[in-house]
Amino acid sequence: MAVAAGALHHEHGGGHQEPSDALYEEIRSHRLLGFTLFLISDCILFSAFIFAYLYLRNTIDHWPPPGIAGPDLLFGALNSIVLFGSGATMHFALDNWKHGNTKVFYRWLGLTLFLGTWFLLGQGYEYSLLYYEQHATWAGSIFGASFFTLTGLHGFHVFVGLVYLSILGWQTKQGIYTQKRFFGLTAGTLYWHFVDVIWVFLFFLFYIF
Amino acid sequence: MQMFQATIEQSLTLFFGIIVFVTALVQTTNEWNKHELEDNVTKVLLILMAVGCIEAIGATLGFLGHGGG
Repeated sequence: MAVAAGALHHEHGGGHQEPSDALYEEIRSHRLLGFTLFLISDCILFSAFIFAYLYLRNTIDHWPPPGIAGPDLLFGALNSIVLFGSGATMHFALDNWKHGNTKVFYRWLGLTLFLGTWFLLGQGYEYSLLYYEQHATWAGSIFGASFFTLTGLHGFHVFVGLVYLSILGWQTKQGIYTQKRFFGLTAGTLYWHFVDVIWVFLFFLFYIF
Repeated sequence: MQMFQATIEQSLTLFFGIIVFVTALVQTTNEWNKHELEDNVTKVLLILMAVGCIEAIGATLGFLGHGGG
């Protein structure tokens, strides 16, 4: 493990020798497994909140509670497509990196960051509508508590994802990744897809169900 | 004004929703014969993304959801 960590440090700009291909593959597979386990643990985190929401929702007769119309379905659908679109653009970014098209990679990465920011701003707009027009607050109702907690948790993940992808973009500029060794970019893409997919469930639960 | 905004939202969702849906399916097909862990995870995530597009398009067309707020 210590050997693997040391070799990893060298790969990421430690200024010493690169690990051999065989060692790199071994390290990479461990890191991939670790990252997949992280995503699974994040699924469990969201599942806990989702089941709490479903339980609370089942305790009252009318949903959303009287006086609250709920989030705007059409706007939510558009905002969802923006986020899903950013998943597609990140996929293209990684594909282009693999094929050595660095310039195109930066374009797709930039578009991903733009769409992710658009989604977050859209969510902020939605919050303002709920707060000012429907007077939904975190402490005011089960709806407010559930909606703001779950979508807020997801929004935080999107924000972290934007920071993560920005750092990855900066790292590529620094020459940390090559066309053969780019695990960070793979992990970033998986994380971004994961954030998209969590929204598939949240959109269904809050806007459709 | 609200009708106009709704029409714009519907049109954009439909247009981009179909593009993203097709893209997700095509990329899933491209990944289909790859069997590394990351490829399998990507396949699952892309398929779920396509499902999300169906949700959003269905909601826009009125097949899903309650019409919103």
